[in-house]
Amino acid sequence: MEGIERLLDCARQGNAEALRALYHRFLPGIFGYMATRVPDRATAEDLTSDVFLQMVEGIHHLRAEDEAGFTAWLLRIARVTVAGYYRKREKQPAHLSLPGPAWEPTHAESLLLLESHAEADPVQWTQAREDWQAVVKAINHLTEEQRQVLVGRLILGYDVATVAHMLGKKANAVKALQFRALQSLQRQLGKPRSPMPALQKQQKEEGE
Amino acid sequence: MKPLEERLNDRLEQAGWGSGRTGQHPAGFTLPVREREHDWEVDELVALARRLQQAYQLQVAPDFARRLERRMVRRYAELQLQRGSRRRSFCSLLRARPALSAVLGLCLLFCLVSTSVLALAAQVSDPTSPLYGLKRWEQQVQLQLSGSPADQATLDLQFARDRLKTLPSLADTAHARAYRRALADLDQQVHAAAAAITELPGGAQQTHLAGELARLQRDAIHVLRGLLARLALPEQLGTTNELARLGDTVPLVRQAALTLPAHPHARATISFTGLDLQPGAHLLVDGNVSEETGTLQHGQMVFVLDGNGNQHPHSLGMLNPDGTATETTAITIKGAGTSGTPGGNQNDNGNKPTVTPTPHGNKPPVTPTPHGNQPSATPTPHH
Repeated sequence: MEGIERLLDCARQGNAEALRALYHRFLPGIFGYMATRVPDRATAEDLTSDVFLQMVEGIHHLRAEDEAGFTAWLLRIARVTVAGYYRKREKQPAHLSLPGPAWEPTHAESLLLLESHAEADPVQWTQAREDWQAVVKAINHLTEEQRQVLVGRLILGYDVATVAHMLGKKANAVKALQFRALQSLQRQLGKPRSPMPALQKQQKEEGE
Repeated sequence: MKPLEERLNDRLEQAGWGSGRTGQHPAGFTLPVREREHDWEVDELVALARRLQQAYQLQVAPDFARRLERRMVRRYAELQLQRGSRRRSFCSLLRARPALSAVLGLCLLFCLVSTSVLALAAQVSDPTSPLYGLKRWEQQVQLQLSGSPADQATLDLQFARDRLKTLPSLADTAHARAYRRALADLDQQVHAAAAAITELPGGAQQTHLAGELARLQRDAIHVLRGLLARLALPEQLGTTNELARLGDTVPLVRQAALTLPAHPHARATISFTGLDLQPGAHLLVDGNVSEETGTLQHGQMVFVLDGNGNQHPHSLGMLNPDGTATETTAITIKGAGTSGTPGGNQNDNGNKPTVTPTPHGNKPPVTPTPHGNQPSATPTPHH
């Protein structure tokens, strides 16, 4: 893969291909961040779109030179976008809504899900949706740093040193944040009822 | 045993996380049963992390990814076009209206020149330079724009220090005029600072600024005393006056008395009364240095001179061994029973000077000594 530094340079100079490459590299991370912060997929997609459009607007003025700096910048935009979303939602008048689709899989997701869990049925999907809402709630209870560590480590696949550079912290601090984040999630989600029973089952099968 | 967070991280690293394999499920995730049994707490966290990572809710829908990519690239292209057109429109405006571009060019040139001149003026230290006036103006503007009396006093002190710094470079005969002007500026600035500090209300700030002023005065005295030896007599006189105003102890002549001899071949005496007179001083007659040295007698400095001259002194003074110089025009001339009033002199009783003439006339003569143009006061036989 082309170096992020070079891609950044090219994107700043107006190279659309470089911008595309950056987008593909960071889309999973940003979408993952959004998906863990808001209760439904449609909102997560809207907010992800906002982040990348803001990236396009601001990339010419960006000072970050390396991957960690660029990731930190994107996650900052994401955090502000989510905060704006919740602020706006607080101001809106309360209204009754029918049970929404929330994390009901789209057609593509359904295929994805069916592919990995052929036995999954709508009951399981509903269960999964409710479970995921519990996950989102639990993740929203984490600190921003803990969330960013999880995104960096679990979704973007960065090593501890890169995440430490991204957050401006030491490696040990990142390890502690990672541990506390997972521990807190485990505490809030509860051991008996795991967040993803279907996935748990799959894991068991893989173990065997 | 390692702490939990270290063990958890080790397990995650062993599972292949953080190796840059984004979107891939960790390989080799399961550890040997024995180790896992001993680390069940870490196992549970690792399992949770894995479930989170694999959750389909975190996977991007390919449809959405394509749509967003198209939207983003379109927006990027629009922005590129806008940027280009902004640049182009400005250039085309300039091309279409040459007068506008000429005016803009002139404005730019004016700004450039003014900034350069102001920057140059700020560096000028020679008071005779044409840019020095501009520098003073800049400083006046700064003073007027200063927000509070304390800021004004601080600026006054800063400008006074600035003047003091320029003096050593002007302390030679070639820069006599510039030196005198810089000295006058220093005096003015020190007094402005003192006045500004006096007007401040009492308090820590006033005490601090008063301390700064005292330090400036001490520094100024030290610098000016060091310059005395390099200066010509007029600048020495000016510097001595400034030293006195800064609070330094310098010899000060209040009055001079010229006693003319009774006959032409006798010797005249000049005695000075004043403060802090120093033995070994040289006599100054009308701004010229005599080789005669004075002696202190009963608190007066006395000079004995040859008696063959015919000039009348307008000023008498002393050049002291430490380089300070002082002079006076308050001269009392004493002779054998008569008195006169040479121009500009004063006597003990009022503004009109008194001359005590010689037996041969009423004009006391002062003539140069045989060593040059240094005068000595002598009675004239006929006048």
